[in-house]
Amino acid sequence: MIRVQNLVKEFPKKDGSKFYAVNDASFTANDGEIVCLLGVNGAGKTTTMRVLSTVFQPSSGTAEIQGWDIITHPHKVRENLGFLSGDTGLYNRLRVHEFIRYFGRLYSISDSEITRRMDEMAELLDMKDFMDKKIEFLSTGMKQKVSIVRSIIHDPPVMIFDEPTSGLDILTARNIVAFIRSCKERGKCVLFSTHIMREAERLADRVVMIHKGRILADGSLEALRETTGQTDLDDIFIHYVNQSDLETEVQAHEF
Amino acid sequence: MNAASMAIIENLAEIENYTILPAAGNAQALYENRDIQAIVSISDSLTAGGLTAYHIYIQYDTANEQSRTVYSKLKEQLAESEKALMQEQLQLRGVPTDVMNILDVRQIDTASSQRKMGMILGMFLPYIMIIMLLTGASVVAADLVAGEKERKTLETLLVSGIGRLEIVIGKYLTIITLAMLNLVVNLFSISFSMRYMLSQAGMDMSGASLPLNSILILLAAMLPLATLFAAILLSLSTFSRNMKEARTYEQPLMMVSMMMAMISFLPAIEMSNLMALIPVINIALLFKAVMIEEYQVSHLLITIGSTLILDVFAIWATIKLFKTESILFRSDDDSGSIKAIKKNKASFFNPYNGIVYFSIALLLLYYLGSYWQGQDLWRGLLNTQIFIIALPALLLLRILKLNSRDVLRLKPPKLLPVVLVPFMAVPAAILVATLAQLINAIYPFPEQYLENLTKLFKMDIPLWQSFMIIAVAPGVCEELLFRGMFPRFFEKYGMKVNIVVTALLFAAFHLDPFRFVSVFLLGLLLGYQTLRSGSIYLSMLSHTINNGLALFITAFAGERWIKIFISRDDMLQYWLALPALMIFIIALWMFHKVTGEQTCAE
Repeated sequence: MIRVQNLVKEFPKKDGSKFYAVNDASFTANDGEIVCLLGVNGAGKTTTMRVLSTVFQPSSGTAEIQGWDIITHPHKVRENLGFLSGDTGLYNRLRVHEFIRYFGRLYSISDSEITRRMDEMAELLDMKDFMDKKIEFLSTGMKQKVSIVRSIIHDPPVMIFDEPTSGLDILTARNIVAFIRSCKERGKCVLFSTHIMREAERLADRVVMIHKGRILADGSLEALRETTGQTDLDDIFIHYVNQSDLETEVQAHEF
Repeated sequence: MNAASMAIIENLAEIENYTILPAAGNAQALYENRDIQAIVSISDSLTAGGLTAYHIYIQYDTANEQSRTVYSKLKEQLAESEKALMQEQLQLRGVPTDVMNILDVRQIDTASSQRKMGMILGMFLPYIMIIMLLTGASVVAADLVAGEKERKTLETLLVSGIGRLEIVIGKYLTIITLAMLNLVVNLFSISFSMRYMLSQAGMDMSGASLPLNSILILLAAMLPLATLFAAILLSLSTFSRNMKEARTYEQPLMMVSMMMAMISFLPAIEMSNLMALIPVINIALLFKAVMIEEYQVSHLLITIGSTLILDVFAIWATIKLFKTESILFRSDDDSGSIKAIKKNKASFFNPYNGIVYFSIALLLLYYLGSYWQGQDLWRGLLNTQIFIIALPALLLLRILKLNSRDVLRLKPPKLLPVVLVPFMAVPAAILVATLAQLINAIYPFPEQYLENLTKLFKMDIPLWQSFMIIAVAPGVCEELLFRGMFPRFFEKYGMKVNIVVTALLFAAFHLDPFRFVSVFLLGLLLGYQTLRSGSIYLSMLSHTINNGLALFITAFAGERWIKIFISRDDMLQYWLALPALMIFIIALWMFHKVTGEQTCAE
């Protein structure tokens, strides 16, 4: 499971002030659950996920992956986590199976186990035709599938996918969505981000809405519908954003 | 023409492959047309003893290879004629002809063909090997981090099953392995092709094989250097945003290493314990010693040890860089590009441009400055100060339309700091000189080096001129560059780092390994004085006092009053260091009090 508590990530700006990419975020994602981190571009989704994957250190606050603290036990966190984002590129000069095997070995998994896992996922994601091809010759969709297999070759209990279907054709996107569902059925904890409301609607058990680094809402779709009185996820999101902007307006007047 | 001159000419005609033409009016024209290589004219006269002497003039062109060959063949042949003529004369006078061999000179060359070969190889092989090692390592290093950033695969590694330390070590070992491999393969190919070329040219190659243990010692000594290069290059690559940037940052390292490796070409400099402490130079000199089979194990050990210590420091820095988010994920901005400079002139002052500027100035100093000083020492020194150090900086500011008064901190200082400066500069000069003496006592500087230094202070010009050239000119010009211009490049790192970096550049610029530490310390003080007070005139004064003091002590070394401070062998008395230190600390403390921190915030 994933537990995020009061997470803050700030970056220095050129004028010396600070930019808060993630501002006091708290949420959880349980085993056997698919949680969607929903927000517009630049909301702080990717930064949150990069902190969870130990790429970035949090400025304050903390988070745990499967009970392991991201600051004190980064190695354990990576062992229990499969992470995929737009910034996790592939080695173009390797063949697909070489690439996956290389990353499998970095987790100290035996070669026979790597082969078994690779075959299994190639079947699920319909990749058998291009396992021997060089990565530089693959299409965007094929590459994304390779990335997914790379990220979870060590069969981690927690998976974090940053915009896993962005830029993909419908068939590949569906294939990947189905795969994420199958992970949930096997009891995995999945956190994925998107700015496409329909994808969140279709896939997520729970939606965490993030805007300007702050968490606006956290709950199942039904609960959010009930609270806001809106049915469409687009409207629910707008509702929360307006509410938060209202708050900042009020704050601005107070000063 | 008598019989004897005929005999001489006939003898000349025996020279193989060349034809002797009879005298003709157009000989000079033929010669100038290069149809003939030399003109021989013979005349004779009677000596006082009644003997006929033959005067032979050979006209030839030393700049022409063929003409030179002909000349040496002519001389050989003429020597034979001379011998024949002398024998004839001796026989005529009834003297036994073995008097001709009364002085029998023979040469015995003790250098084995091994050592002769080693001597030549020792000159250029270190240079070639160091450059090969560095080029091999730099290509790989740029790709391994900066390249991975560019291709977006670095983050894939960062989230994988291994830690950052393991990633750094893995990349580090990869660079070392490939650099050494590159070196070994290149060495094989060079030795193979050289052997082939020389044997094609008909040279005897029997003595040209390097013994295996020499090769092994060389490679063993090369390994620590490979690790040092690997660590430095890896940190540069980590710092860079992309491959192009990494390759640019590698250039200064290349240039400095090349210059240092070139030391093997200089015949006068030999390996010593002090030299063994300086990276790159130590390897180059060690190579030379190994090649002529005269190396000392202690030098080998110091070389390896000192390189490894630097190495550990460089790896530590790399790991630290690798763990620093703001460096590993440096965002793209175009502050270094020409376009950005035009848009915002102040952005010209970034660390990258600073390093480029420094490298260019260093190259100018190394080639042009040394040339000038070789022509005429004091004129060369003055030209170097003006045309290499000060003017380019002022011109550049003019071109960029920047206010040089503001940029270079040409602002009048307050009175009290000015009063304090001598109380800092004089004790500092004494302390630094004492330190240099201590180092000299432990690791003696080469004689040649000390002689050159003395030459500098005892130039054949009036004292006031020496003072202008040695004290005032550097005080003004070097300060304009090192305390005026350079600190602007490194402002973003804050005052402390800025002072250290510019002092390091200042020390490196003196191209003098023996004075590196003392110049660095002086640079720290000068940088502090300017940046702390906001006025460059203070460090100009300080610098002038420092250099002037050394000059005056040398000039008045014979006077009675100065004897109190100087021991018999022209050294400063060690007890001087104590009062100097006390005065320095008090003056420094007061200086710090009366100057506010009005530096980089302008």
